[in-house]
Amino acid sequence: MSTASAPLKVPVRRGRGGTLARTAESPTLRFIARRLLMAIPVLWGVTLLAFAVVSHLPGNAAQELLGINATPAEIHQLSVKLGVDKPFVTRYLDWLHGIFTGTLGHSLASGQSVTSILGSDLPVTFELLAYALLISLGLAVPIALLSARYPNGIFDRITMVLSMAGLSIANYVLALVLVYFFAVKLNWLPALGWVPPDHGLGQNIKYLTLPAVSIALSLLCFYARLLRADLIEQLQGEDYVTTARAKGVGPWRIILRHALRNSTFGLITVVALNLGTLLGATVVIEDIFGLPGIGHELLSAIGYRDLPVVEGVVLVFGVLVVLSNLLADLLYSALDPRVRYGSAS
Amino acid sequence: MNAIRLSRLAAIAACLVVVAALVSACGSSKSSSSSSSSAASSSTSSAATGAPKAGGSLVALESAGYSGDWPTGLDPATNVNGAANQDQMNAIFGDLWELTSAGQLSPDLATGYSFSNGGKTITITLRPGLKFSDGTPLNAQAVVFNWKRDLATPCTCKPTNFVVKSITAPSATTVVTNLAAPDGAFVNQLQDSNFSWIASPAALKAMGEQAFKLKPVGAGPFTVVSDTISNTLVLKKNPSYWESGHPYLNQLTFKSTASDESALEEMQAGEGQAYPGLSSPQLLSSFKSKFTVTTVPSTSPYDIQFNTSIPPFNNKNARLAIYYATNAALIDQKLFNNTNPVGQSFTAPAGLFYEQTVPGYPTYDLAKATALVKSLGGLTINFFTIQQPATTNFMEALQSMWKQAGINASIHFYPLAGLIQQFESKKWQIALQTAGAWDPAGGVGLAFRFLSASPFSGVHDPHLDSLILGGQAATSPSTRKSIYDQAAAYIAQNADGPFLFPLANWNVAAHGVQGPGLTTPIPPVAVNGPVLWEDVSG
Repeated sequence: MSTASAPLKVPVRRGRGGTLARTAESPTLRFIARRLLMAIPVLWGVTLLAFAVVSHLPGNAAQELLGINATPAEIHQLSVKLGVDKPFVTRYLDWLHGIFTGTLGHSLASGQSVTSILGSDLPVTFELLAYALLISLGLAVPIALLSARYPNGIFDRITMVLSMAGLSIANYVLALVLVYFFAVKLNWLPALGWVPPDHGLGQNIKYLTLPAVSIALSLLCFYARLLRADLIEQLQGEDYVTTARAKGVGPWRIILRHALRNSTFGLITVVALNLGTLLGATVVIEDIFGLPGIGHELLSAIGYRDLPVVEGVVLVFGVLVVLSNLLADLLYSALDPRVRYGSAS
Repeated sequence: MNAIRLSRLAAIAACLVVVAALVSACGSSKSSSSSSSSAASSSTSSAATGAPKAGGSLVALESAGYSGDWPTGLDPATNVNGAANQDQMNAIFGDLWELTSAGQLSPDLATGYSFSNGGKTITITLRPGLKFSDGTPLNAQAVVFNWKRDLATPCTCKPTNFVVKSITAPSATTVVTNLAAPDGAFVNQLQDSNFSWIASPAALKAMGEQAFKLKPVGAGPFTVVSDTISNTLVLKKNPSYWESGHPYLNQLTFKSTASDESALEEMQAGEGQAYPGLSSPQLLSSFKSKFTVTTVPSTSPYDIQFNTSIPPFNNKNARLAIYYATNAALIDQKLFNNTNPVGQSFTAPAGLFYEQTVPGYPTYDLAKATALVKSLGGLTINFFTIQQPATTNFMEALQSMWKQAGINASIHFYPLAGLIQQFESKKWQIALQTAGAWDPAGGVGLAFRFLSASPFSGVHDPHLDSLILGGQAATSPSTRKSIYDQAAAYIAQNADGPFLFPLANWNVAAHGVQGPGLTTPIPPVAVNGPVLWEDVSG
């Protein structure tokens, strides 16, 4: 195997078979490097598409910011000031140049740097996503295990019916229903707003619970059904399960030690692939709950045709999706020793 | 087998019983919760009657997409959404003059004004000893600095109805403004404009524009604690506020809310105690059942705007056909339950110079409309307005009403950019708009829709221009009223645009919360009426 074809530009110490040389020859690292290189045209395509779409929406940032009472002269004056009067190609190349020089530009509306906007908004969205994933996976796995242990039992039937119902509810509808019951009627949880973790973790979690549940419920139902089906397939059709049973291994031990590990592959793939959908859900949910995350920022930026902010958020979303897919692939190899990326086998 | 089925059925039934019990438990806890909350409401309500109490905090919800959006920050010179953000701006900067519940101006940071030089020079006197919250003086030099800065920036929140020749500060409390033309409405035109919000020049210099727009410094009743753009603005009491004992509240927070529906849920959950600018009449009963709801009458009547430069509305008979075919009272009855004052001019009951009826105004007469349409050989028109939920029913009602007279109107809804393009094209025919303001010389007033020079006007008539400019120039209120009456009559006589009615909106306050503008109406200059936050208590 030649190291010349490896995409990593790692300086390799020659002669003594040092750590760096071994690292550069690692198939996994070469795989990561190849995937990251492949991400570049993907991210370029995504940002170009977003730039083109927002640029071709009716109106520009100056019109949207100045509103209905602005005269054409005022709109022109602000357009020139913001640089939105320039041709599409010039503006996109300016933005790309900014990327290569390490800046994402400045918001056309607030003048803040896009980096600082993302820096203040990303933690909110990350926390929301992490909380939603924690709820969905934390509940989906035990539900699937119980259902698979007693397939077609009462628990299985009830949870499958409920999960079907859960899958049928749009998250923005669920959000309003949750607010109605848990904020308005029961007064248990707040309906709007955000408290940063450094102002009290308890309050922070309290404010994030309804938004996180709104996102998590459909995921929970989906993951539970998927994992249950896979577990049952493993338990009913795989030889290693029959062998384990013949050796007198208990049913729970078979599920937890053997079947679950194999069934996790499908779940990991879906969780990783779902991240794009999950990010999309944050746009609506953050808006409904008034969370100052990047989803909320994106919606507002589109409204004001604030292209630098839209591009910054789209780039972050793209990077997150690419990285999550890469992480899923790496987890495969960590969970299954048979999977080794880049090896001859 | 049957036994197994039976036992399963029994188990399922048991589960259902458990679920039913849980639901019922939720129901009982809900009812106990609401009864306790209503008890709490009634106790706070009774406690709040009488003199306002000092202290406490309040969360005011502001509608996203309008008053809940401050995308460019809160610097008066660059906040392009300033007119919509009057709640936030007034709380931070105060006002030179405040509009009161009586619909009149009351001194705030300024104490008086006078006209000279035939109405071209306005001398404003400031309250002596004013200080910004950073301790620097709010004097005439600060006002001059702010106004010059406001005029130099592209912002629709600066007053555009006059041309400034010079602004000077002959003394610490005197500002002299020289205009290119007489303007008796000058002080009224400052309302809800960035001229009314004076920022600290020292803080601006020290912080730089970028930081200042996020944490501006003024001399209003509150100072900024934190600002998450278009999301949450936290303010605290300004200890150096000029009016002793004010503001009453220790903390005031503005939170952006997605819609009227979400505002209702958030107020019911106790997340907000005030919601100025409710605009959904269908939610009124829900709000009224739990909160204090105050009707804020609009000062901008809807009107039907003609492009009188091109066919078919360059023909007066076509315009008259629309007048005769329009039954504004029926629309108000069917769509708004008779809640709005049908009018015949650009004035409204809550605004200045109101005139309920206009001599010679062509009122609804279907027979006349039908005859005119026949004489024209039919009338097929393109009718447009801005894309908003509130205008859909309105447009459809007018379309079907006109159909009875033989007028075929195809209706179009444009987003903001499309609407502006329509006006720029100068090929538009007829539009549903608003025309009027608290003072007809300000905001989206008479000039905006009817002056030849306005890009949003469809009328180009030198005599009407002279009336519009005359009404603005006169310094005597009685003279202004007389000129505006003539302008209304002239518009009716030429059939330049039928008027319908102004659409009210509502302010919502939790029981126990009270204050001028919130629980007593103050006429709006633009869309929402102002709230005097320094006098709000809860």
